[in-house]
Amino acid sequence: MSGSEERTPLRVEGLSLLTSRDILLDRLSFAVEPGEVLALSGDAGAGKTLLLRALASLAPKGITVLGDIHIRGRRILVTQDGALDPLRPLGAQFTELLAHQSGMDERTALRRAAEALERFQVPAAARRLALHPHELGEAMRWRAALALAMAAEPALLLADAPAAALDPTQRVRLLSDLAAWTREAGTALLLAGRPQPDPIQADPVHSGLADRRLILAQGRLEAPEEEPTPAPPPVEPAPSGPPILSVRDLRVAFPLGRSWRGEERWLTVVDGLSIELAEGETLALLGETGSGKSVLARAILRLVPPVGGQVSWLGTDLAAAPPEAMRRARRDLQILFPDPLAALDPLMTIGAQLAETLESLRPTRSPADRAARMAEALEEVGLPTAVLDLHPGSLRPAEAARAGLARALLPEPRLLVCDEPAATLDGAERADFLALLQAIRRRRRLALLYATQDAAEGLRMARRGLVLLLGRIVESADSAVLAAGARHPYSRALVAAAGLVRPALHGDPPSPLRPPTGCALRLRCPLAHDGCAQVPPSLDPVAPGHRVACHVAQDEAQDGAQSGGKAP
Amino acid sequence: MHGPAGTDSHWRDGPWQKAGQRLTAHRPAAAGLTVLAALMLAVAAGLVAGGGPVGAALAAGHQSLTFALFAGLGGAALGLLWAATAVALGERAERAMMTPATALTGLPLALALPLAGGLLGPERGLAPMAVVTALIAAPAVAVVARDELRALLRREFLSAAQAAGIANGRRLRRHILPNAVLPLAAAAWTALPRALMAESLASLLGLGLPEGVTGWGTAIGAAARAGDAVALAGPALLLALTLWALHGVGDGMRLAFSTTGGHR
Ligand code: SF4
Repeated sequence: MSGSEERTPLRVEGLSLLTSRDILLDRLSFAVEPGEVLALSGDAGAGKTLLLRALASLAPKGITVLGDIHIRGRRILVTQDGALDPLRPLGAQFTELLAHQSGMDERTALRRAAEALERFQVPAAARRLALHPHELGEAMRWRAALALAMAAEPALLLADAPAAALDPTQRVRLLSDLAAWTREAGTALLLAGRPQPDPIQADPVHSGLADRRLILAQGRLEAPEEEPTPAPPPVEPAPSGPPILSVRDLRVAFPLGRSWRGEERWLTVVDGLSIELAEGETLALLGETGSGKSVLARAILRLVPPVGGQVSWLGTDLAAAPPEAMRRARRDLQILFPDPLAALDPLMTIGAQLAETLESLRPTRSPADRAARMAEALEEVGLPTAVLDLHPGSLRPAEAARAGLARALLPEPRLLVCDEPAATLDGAERADFLALLQAIRRRRRLALLYATQDAAEGLRMARRGLVLLLGRIVESADSAVLAAGARHPYSRALVAAAGLVRPALHGDPPSPLRPPTGCALRLRCPLAHDGCAQVPPSLDPVAPGHRVACHVAQDEAQDGAQSGGKAP
Repeated sequence: MHGPAGTDSHWRDGPWQKAGQRLTAHRPAAAGLTVLAALMLAVAAGLVAGGGPVGAALAAGHQSLTFALFAGLGGAALGLLWAATAVALGERAERAMMTPATALTGLPLALALPLAGGLLGPERGLAPMAVVTALIAAPAVAVVARDELRALLRREFLSAAQAAGIANGRRLRRHILPNAVLPLAAAAWTALPRALMAESLASLLGLGLPEGVTGWGTAIGAAARAGDAVALAGPALLLALTLWALHGVGDGMRLAFSTTGGHR
């Protein structure tokens, strides 16, 4: 027993952090064994960062640390920004660290550095060592920061929300590589989450990313309860009837100025998309940065001008709609923004903004009626009426999200467009908000367009899903079909990342300014063949209600259909 | 007026109050404001009391500060107008109007004032000099103000207002203008130290304020030529202190009010 305790890289007993007024962390006790991955989650402001800093002996001034922290061997803290020295090339940072920590000479250190980068699948690693951190993309910088930390062979690695700003497919891949390496090297890894849509906050244990999970709540550690697997949402009958919203060949592009040859250059963000939505139907738009999902959401409401195509609401083309018809359409079409706080005017009280919305969209209401409506809407989203007198600056993110929802509900819309509406929320608050949104949607029979990068969340919220890549649909099917058997490699990667399983896509997304020829996924796709570079795949049905834009998936489906036809 | 919300009961938490608190939380800004207030009082008192080297330095301060204030305000107004027009006229006009402004900020414009002073000759009046100073201060204000306006127009609450069907005129009045006040004030403020600096430099060379008007620069120049260290110290110190205070307040305003995150 004592022998194994000797080897435990981190053992914490009765650790408390106090300020003169507050208890920030209250008697925490835990240990991380060699090669173990411990995921630490908790709401925003629960003290994850503070705990990690205390473990690295970097507790801020004015904080008293009580209790015992036993650390055997070297520990390294990787902070939220993945701190690298901006002024020196990567190679120099590796050699300095390695010379300092293990007395390694420069040649060996550089070789070690290249090996470390290669473990994170960095191509041409040796050449990148000459680069400065700012010359690397965000993803590459994170790989370098984690490789630098691991090259020093720490016994304990403390990682504070690593790579939180990356897209899920990149991030989960990076974290899986890191976990695999720490397990192999016998390093204890403590991974903290952060207040963002966060795979670490999902359950990392089931997927094998982490071995154990602890939750930090109100300054104490809790083991996660065995959550009952959420009951599958009641199967709603597919809404039928004519489409209320129809989007045809929508194109949105932004001018980039002229090239040196004088041609206009455009960044195409939404590239000829078509969608139809029936009354009460729910549709998830799944995609990562640059997929065009949020621009699509905004273009539908005419918040960004499209350069081509058509959006019709109840048969009226919105581009040609006279102001009165547009006002009526705005009444029906409402939106939730990704940062609800930023979507409120900081200089006006919530009450003034709700009133302004009502006045503008329902001008015939009497003032007394308006006040009643506002009170009702606030009650529906679970906010006290006192919120009306507050300025947005005094709201917490969860309250701001609810205020945004109340404002969207005021004009009694029929379609709610959501652009990552819970992006600023975390943990329990996030789950509560999504449950509320779902309940309100059911009660009011709203149609829903739900844009998100979290495939699991999107597929839970909506009956049908569209996967978007560089402004095009690559797969469209019922949510259940996508969750269980997506056909497109990119959809599979998104679903895998949502379940914290290492996605099978290599490399980083291509720049939207220079998309690859042929299929947009070609450079990252594990199935790509020569044909993919020549002919862009078209979106074709592979099964009833299931369409895919991928050569390989379409061939497979055809083979399946043929062999299926022969079998009986 | 609009809805049941009364702003008065919450004035302590109001956004304007918070902005003020952010400004005074920045130490150099708080110190700068105090220094500026003290200087105003001292200059006013010096005018009344007069006499002695201190009184002379304070009296010179009256001329310098008044000139810098008017020329600076002129420059600020010009810069703001420049930026607002550029943004309002749309992308192409904006590029055409802002490229020269950006190019001008890269030039040592302060040298244009003594040049103008020389060209206008000893009979020059105050007004043309003030106009030239304003022109010198304007481009930098325009560049910062344009960035602020662009950042403001990208903010999400304007999209939200659009989604709420609020007409453009009303959106401008109720949402854009109020939110533009503080960031633009921060941009405009930079014209004051610039004007004071340009004027003092030109006056030091004897090519700034016309004859008969003695500013700090004039006093420093005269004392330097006479080799009078005591007469030089007063105006030099006051000028340095004022410039420091103006910059301190300007930095604080940028950090506290800027929409672009104060990265300039
Ligand atoms: S078309 Fe080719 S490159 Fe594109 S997803 Fe399918 S297999 Fe991959």
